[in-house]
Amino acid sequence: MKRKLNETETFSETTESEQPPSDGCVAKTSNKIIELRNISKSFDGEPVLNDISLCINDSEFITFLGPSGCGKTTTLRIIGGFESPDIGDVFFDGARINNLPPYKRQVNTVFQKYALFPHLNVYDNIAFGLRIAKVKEAEIKERVTEMLKLVNLRGFEKRNVNLLSGGQQQRVAIARALINKPKVLLLDEPLGALDLKLRKDMQVELKNIQTKTGITFIYVTHDQEEALSMSDTVVVMAEGKIQQIGSPTDIYNEPVNAFVADFIGESNIIDGVMLEDFKVRFAGHTFVCLDKGFEKNEPIDVVVRPEDVDVVAVERGMLTGTVSSVTFKGVHYEIIVDIDGFKWMIQTTDYVAPEETIGLYIEPDAIHIMKKSEYSNMFGDYSSFSDELEHLSDITEDIEE
Amino acid sequence: MKKLSSVYIALILVFLFAPIAVLIFFSFNAGSSTSTFSGFSLRWYLELFRNGEILDALKNSLILAVASSAIATLLGTAAAFGIHHMKNKHLKNGVMTATNIPMMNPEIITGISLMFLFVFVGGLLGLQTKLNFWTMLIAHITFNLPYVILNVLPKFKQMDKSLPEAALDLGCTPMQSFFKVQLPAILPGVLTGMIMAFTMSLDDFVISYFTSGVDFQTLPVLIYSMTKKSVKPTIYALSSIIFVVILALLLLSNREKSSDERLEAKRLKAEKKRREAIIKAQKSGKAPKQPKREAVYEAKAPRRSRSYLNKIVAVCCAFAVIVSLCVMLGVYSKNTITLNVYNWGEYISDGSEGSLDVNKAFEAYCANELGMKVKVNYVTYTSNEDLYAKLSTDAVSYDVIIPSDYMIARLASEGLLAEIDFDNIPNYEECISEDFRGLYYDPEDKYSVPYTYGMIGIIYNANVVSEEDIGDWDLMWNEKYKGDIVQFNNARDAFGTAFYKLGLDVNSTDVADWERGLAELKTQKPYLDKYVMDEIFNMMESGEAAVGAYYAGDYLTMLDNQAENVDLQLYYPDNTNLFIDAMCIPASTQNKSLAEEYINFMLSEEVAIANAEYICYASPHSVVYNSETYKEDMGEEAIEILYPKNFNFHEAYNSNCYKDLDADTKKLLNELWENLKISN
Amino acid sequence: MTKKNVISENGIRRNPPQKKGLLQRYAAAPHIVWSVLFIIAPLIFVAYYSFTDADGVFTLANISAFFTEKYLIIFFRSVKLALIATAICLLLGYPIAYFISRSKPKTQKVLILLLMLPMWMNFLIRTYAIMVLVQDTGIINSFLGKFGIGPIHILGTEGAVIIGMVYDYLPFMILPIYSVMSKLDNRLIEAASDLGCNGFGVLRKVIFPLSLSGVISGVTMVLVPSISTFYISQKLGGVDTLLIGDVIEQQYTASNYNMTASLSLILMLILLVGLAIVNHYSDGDGGGMMP
Repeated sequence: MKRKLNETETFSETTESEQPPSDGCVAKTSNKIIELRNISKSFDGEPVLNDISLCINDSEFITFLGPSGCGKTTTLRIIGGFESPDIGDVFFDGARINNLPPYKRQVNTVFQKYALFPHLNVYDNIAFGLRIAKVKEAEIKERVTEMLKLVNLRGFEKRNVNLLSGGQQQRVAIARALINKPKVLLLDEPLGALDLKLRKDMQVELKNIQTKTGITFIYVTHDQEEALSMSDTVVVMAEGKIQQIGSPTDIYNEPVNAFVADFIGESNIIDGVMLEDFKVRFAGHTFVCLDKGFEKNEPIDVVVRPEDVDVVAVERGMLTGTVSSVTFKGVHYEIIVDIDGFKWMIQTTDYVAPEETIGLYIEPDAIHIMKKSEYSNMFGDYSSFSDELEHLSDITEDIEE
Repeated sequence: MKKLSSVYIALILVFLFAPIAVLIFFSFNAGSSTSTFSGFSLRWYLELFRNGEILDALKNSLILAVASSAIATLLGTAAAFGIHHMKNKHLKNGVMTATNIPMMNPEIITGISLMFLFVFVGGLLGLQTKLNFWTMLIAHITFNLPYVILNVLPKFKQMDKSLPEAALDLGCTPMQSFFKVQLPAILPGVLTGMIMAFTMSLDDFVISYFTSGVDFQTLPVLIYSMTKKSVKPTIYALSSIIFVVILALLLLSNREKSSDERLEAKRLKAEKKRREAIIKAQKSGKAPKQPKREAVYEAKAPRRSRSYLNKIVAVCCAFAVIVSLCVMLGVYSKNTITLNVYNWGEYISDGSEGSLDVNKAFEAYCANELGMKVKVNYVTYTSNEDLYAKLSTDAVSYDVIIPSDYMIARLASEGLLAEIDFDNIPNYEECISEDFRGLYYDPEDKYSVPYTYGMIGIIYNANVVSEEDIGDWDLMWNEKYKGDIVQFNNARDAFGTAFYKLGLDVNSTDVADWERGLAELKTQKPYLDKYVMDEIFNMMESGEAAVGAYYAGDYLTMLDNQAENVDLQLYYPDNTNLFIDAMCIPASTQNKSLAEEYINFMLSEEVAIANAEYICYASPHSVVYNSETYKEDMGEEAIEILYPKNFNFHEAYNSNCYKDLDADTKKLLNELWENLKISN
Repeated sequence: MTKKNVISENGIRRNPPQKKGLLQRYAAAPHIVWSVLFIIAPLIFVAYYSFTDADGVFTLANISAFFTEKYLIIFFRSVKLALIATAICLLLGYPIAYFISRSKPKTQKVLILLLMLPMWMNFLIRTYAIMVLVQDTGIINSFLGKFGIGPIHILGTEGAVIIGMVYDYLPFMILPIYSVMSKLDNRLIEAASDLGCNGFGVLRKVIFPLSLSGVISGVTMVLVPSISTFYISQKLGGVDTLLIGDVIEQQYTASNYNMTASLSLILMLILLVGLAIVNHYSDGDGGGMMP
């Protein structure tokens, strides 16, 4: 389907597009398809996005990750054309598309609750976009069949969409969007309503589809695991700002601040002081680390992942603590250890008993140093940790979005 | 508990359906009473299809209901869409409040307020007819709108917010998104709203009553004027037919739905089975890659039926719009001349029970003899004051009216009547004798042509009233018959009875006389069952009331319909009212010569006899009262009552007729009457 | 669409605010115009006629006339009869709404259909049929007569008017209550029983408060037409059952527009204020007419 690209607003943009890309844009200028430049947006005076800049490359699987209210969905809707930024510009293939209505954009969306048309069956839902574009019925039939094959729904043509299971509806929504051969596919928490098992399967399937079609996927989720396992690039957002952009491994291993460290996986975040290059002091002990380039005695945040701490005999330990709780998690035990009043989470395969005093050993490469940020001291202590609470917070998030 | 609740529900249903059962039962009555069953017959159903007035009203009601519900649905759906997207809270609240007013407000106030608007604006525009089809249409749309909006708005709210966005996303323009995605999603609400609007409009009486003009009478308004007197089972027959049709429609639509549901349930079951099979297969280690198709319960059937339904709806809508457009044009089509005749109820031979349908005959006469396409629009009123109210506000314009004598005097003095050109009424000379000319209300015979005359007599049920109580007006004040007496529900006649009883001059201008009359009526009030006009028919016939004064001619009608255990008799008190009803042409007429043609037609022999026999009042038409067939048809007893022997009409009339009272006395009379009615 | 971006004071370019589509902005416009012309304006005329005499001169006479004994007696009679009828409707209708909402879905559908069916009959005819039913020689009395009872004189009394109101408006009470109750989560009732409520306790503590919005909308839908009716009292009432609706209609028939208007205005204001108070204290959206 060819959309009228010449209708994009190209006026007055010659000068603007030559402006140097702002700092949020990773300088991979080679094949960028979408660029957001200094986007701000507020609803009823409540700021939602605050000066977002971002480049998205062609054929990339990029994920916006963040807690609810961080602005990720709004960013997506700005790209989709359902909202327009108060400040800043959106570029698509180098053309400014701020005020281009959604139906003129080469972008399609998979909505959070699928938004399948209840009055149409599976076939008609998928064929919808093509019919609007006045494609010939014969071609439509061919392409719908192809799509149904792609999403594993052959034989479901005549089914009533309201009677499909969540996973099947999900597939129809994807097929309905993909059949238009968009350059970019936007997915707004598409797996949010599915149960865990199905979600895992669909993650794999989505990734496969993306690889097969080569379409750029922009994916919004608050599930960090989902983000890490599927994406080429992850954009971590909080409070209307981009916290970090990077590959999943970068994000996990080298979080830029306490927020990212806490949000991605489990982490113990401890106040520390960088004594000199490769030498850091925290928890009353001086450690060797692999980081450098900080001021002398600069206060910093230290991240230690629970799985990177080894439990050893007290006499061999760099730190000593008392086990305050032990939870069996299948592949490992999750224990909370009290070290001078600070609760650490540690994952270990060896059983330790509650109230036992143990020694802890941390390798230099297990220590990651971050500059102090506004999020310092907000996260990282597990004194009030409870699985159930975490679960509850997930639910409220579902309701809000 | 379960049993108890079933019994309870059954009792309530009996309560709700008992009157309807009665109504259907009596629609098969061989007699014309609605309270005594005298054998099974289908005559009222035949009667119904011959009754042009009812069928016209039914047609009008349908036209109005279709047009108003269609327009209200269009406006209301658009409004719901707009309101749903309104950002400004205050505006939204304001619009919703205004929308709710017609629903919250009593209908009578909605009707009256609209009537004020129409009369006022019509006056500004200088319209001849201030209340007509269009005003009714506006009124109906107005009270239909909230029903549509309140049904559609929730559908917009329920609709997944992403649905329109998904449509835009897939390439729809906002317009396409509305028609292709949002409209189907809200369609159930739109349809429910439309059906409700249609029903409300079809059934509305109160608002129509205040906003209807003469040229467009709906069924409820007609029924209202019919239930003011004894209702003939014809209207029961119509109600029964409507009831059966609606019952059938509801059952049908319900069955359609449930068959859809059954199919879906079957499919769900199949789906469940399939899932279980997959799970089993997975457990046994060989997960089927492709979910197996179940061929049996494909979704084809419900889909087809739904789109089928949509098509039906679409066709119906289109049809409705076309029909209403045609009719709207038709109502005002130039070829046909409409003659508006405003008459008392049951005051013309209307074709029922094998009589001559005078209005049809006149239309045929115009078509055949004059080569004109004429439509007689026949509307009825229940009192002279009703007529005056409609005429004096010029809310409507009539061509022929048939008021009583004192009202003719009043209308003439206020310049509301046109002078009749008697050259156009050749029948007048030979038919109307000197006796009926030069009477006080029209001394120069300029404005009126006598139609009927009569006297007020006292009617009583001889099975209840004992012989010795009979005599003069005292019977109406007899405490013995407390609760069985009915009095006129109109000021002039009610005061008249008191005045005759007291021996006062009914045309007195002395305030003291009127006060005495009021006192007399107040003493009578505790003995009364009710103030009535034409309801007296039913009340006397059924035995509900035993004593009442009424027009002698109507007594003859009552005799035909009285119940088994009722024996109605009539006598004339020494002094009693004589009246003449005469045909006149209002000054505001649009078709004076045609109106004269109509009056002349009414005087022709066949028509005059048909009317006299139908109405049972005395006729001033010399050909009629000399006709042997007429005497034969009426019977000796009737003739004796209508035309008492040794009776000098001229003399009796001049001493006992009602004359037009002066303005002050009229005002006094109205005040006293109101005082009487609301006194306790 | 403005092509120039607006530059705010602090030098940041602001994009022009996005406007909604024409369709969305103007869809309600015809309705708003209609409402102003045919809902608001007529009420202004009512007010205008209320405060003028026949010659169009300002006067308070029409308003003050209402506050005389004769009108007040009639007004309070209307209120009394309407309240009694509403109470009876509620007493009869509430249990039936409850029973229906607890029955099987299929039975529910049939019963609701049956309840709505009489409403499709013209209300004038239904009222007239009631008259035939209850008159001294009517079916009920002749039936009772066979057992030597009666005849009971009903027609012409306030009782007959109340019967008429209950009969005509009972479905208006049942449907909104049913529509709220049928949406009631069964688990709430189970939870209440689980927490130790007995049958009546469940009704009083759980079901009634939750169905209150339906009750209020039902009461409104019965009270308003009952208080303003003139046909029912005309047909079924007698010499001393004149209601405020009758008086309004009489004044209209007597061409006394100013009095018609003032009575309408006062009735409307009293009702609207009353309803506003009720709605304020219930702030539920109420049940719809349709189940």
